[in-house]
Amino acid sequence: MTTSRPIVETRALTKTFGEGPGAVHALRGIDLKLVEGEFVAVMGPSGSGKSTLLHLIGGLDTPSSGTVCVGGQDLCGLDDDALTLVRRRRIGFVFQAYNLLGVLSAWENVSLPLEIDGVRESVARQSAMASLKHVGMDHRRDHLPGQLSGGEQQRVAMARALVAGPLLLLADEPTGNLDSAGGDRIIATLRQLADDNAQTILMVTHNASHAAAADRIVRLKDGCVIEEQLLGSGRSPKQVLADLESST
Amino acid sequence: MPVKHAMLGLLAGGQVHGYDLKADFERELAPSDRLNFGQVYSTLDRLGRDGLVTHAVVPQAERPDRKVYSLTESGTRELREWLERPTPIELDLRNETFLKLMVARRLDWADPMQVVATERRACFERLHEFATAKTQANRDGAPVQTVLLLELAILRVEAIVKWLERCEEVFNEESKER
Repeated sequence: MTTSRPIVETRALTKTFGEGPGAVHALRGIDLKLVEGEFVAVMGPSGSGKSTLLHLIGGLDTPSSGTVCVGGQDLCGLDDDALTLVRRRRIGFVFQAYNLLGVLSAWENVSLPLEIDGVRESVARQSAMASLKHVGMDHRRDHLPGQLSGGEQQRVAMARALVAGPLLLLADEPTGNLDSAGGDRIIATLRQLADDNAQTILMVTHNASHAAAADRIVRLKDGCVIEEQLLGSGRSPKQVLADLESST
Repeated sequence: MPVKHAMLGLLAGGQVHGYDLKADFERELAPSDRLNFGQVYSTLDRLGRDGLVTHAVVPQAERPDRKVYSLTESGTRELREWLERPTPIELDLRNETFLKLMVARRLDWADPMQVVATERRACFERLHEFATAKTQANRDGAPVQTVLLLELAILRVEAIVKWLERCEEVFNEESKER
């Protein structure tokens, strides 16, 4: 369920790498708004600025001009320490690579960000368990990453991204390394998080049907938003199949 | 839809009543399809005339006798040959999207890129429906037939999306050359 509370707002956001004639204009003035509980997919050809946009919104990089607000807080005015806190507490990241520590069990990986943030171990452990349950991985909590499939590792990574209760979940090609079933499971989990927990999600993907699971698709080209598409509310399998029948 | 062979397939499991064939067909083989009883019985008649199916009459107390159908030897042979034969691939290349793009490309006042964008939006709207339906089907533990049929629909629409991207690239190149 979406509300109108804005979680992300970018204004005239630009990013240029390098200077002079060789400068690369990765983003050329992006205005983007995500409200609470909205699941938005970003699509576009390679080099269109998708990942750069995600990095700026996640505070992993600073814009050349323009503003990024997350939860009403302008990231551009923050010093490094404050930005680190925002990243740790308000924004969750999921990347194509799972980036789990191989020597730690699933729950230890998930609780790590909280422990780094000074949360008591017992509380961190409890939160990690709850987060693993959220993504359907509580039954694998004691396994090491090497004992899990790619899809399971990505779900542990997702639990880690969610453990601090972030306002915003950023996912950069989260299904890029997965087979079709593993990818579908990740997308179903993201959809469920948006529907049941009003989790705001911004996902970069090349996969059309995964993007189509979102509420809105933003299409980038040459650093500009060239198209936005609001998608319908979806229908039950029965209705969709009834349609298939009438079209055969 | 080759109903004839689907029925042979259902009868290969043993004797079946005509009424059950309709239900089995819709449940087991083709969740997106509906048969009417007229189709079922006319197909059974034809299969009987061709010697592929035979029937026995089962007397019932207080109700009309039941006819139960089963495969003959040549019915089994026909079914086996059908399964072993490759199906002609359904490729209707004379589709409306293609024609629209080709027409727009010829006209000064039309923009083929706009046609691509409109067609792609329609594809994503359909993909959204199918993707949502598949997620729900998986969550509800829907039968594998339903899930696989939705997969087929999704992959077909994805193929159109990929092809539209290719068209876009080609039109881009063309506009640069002009």
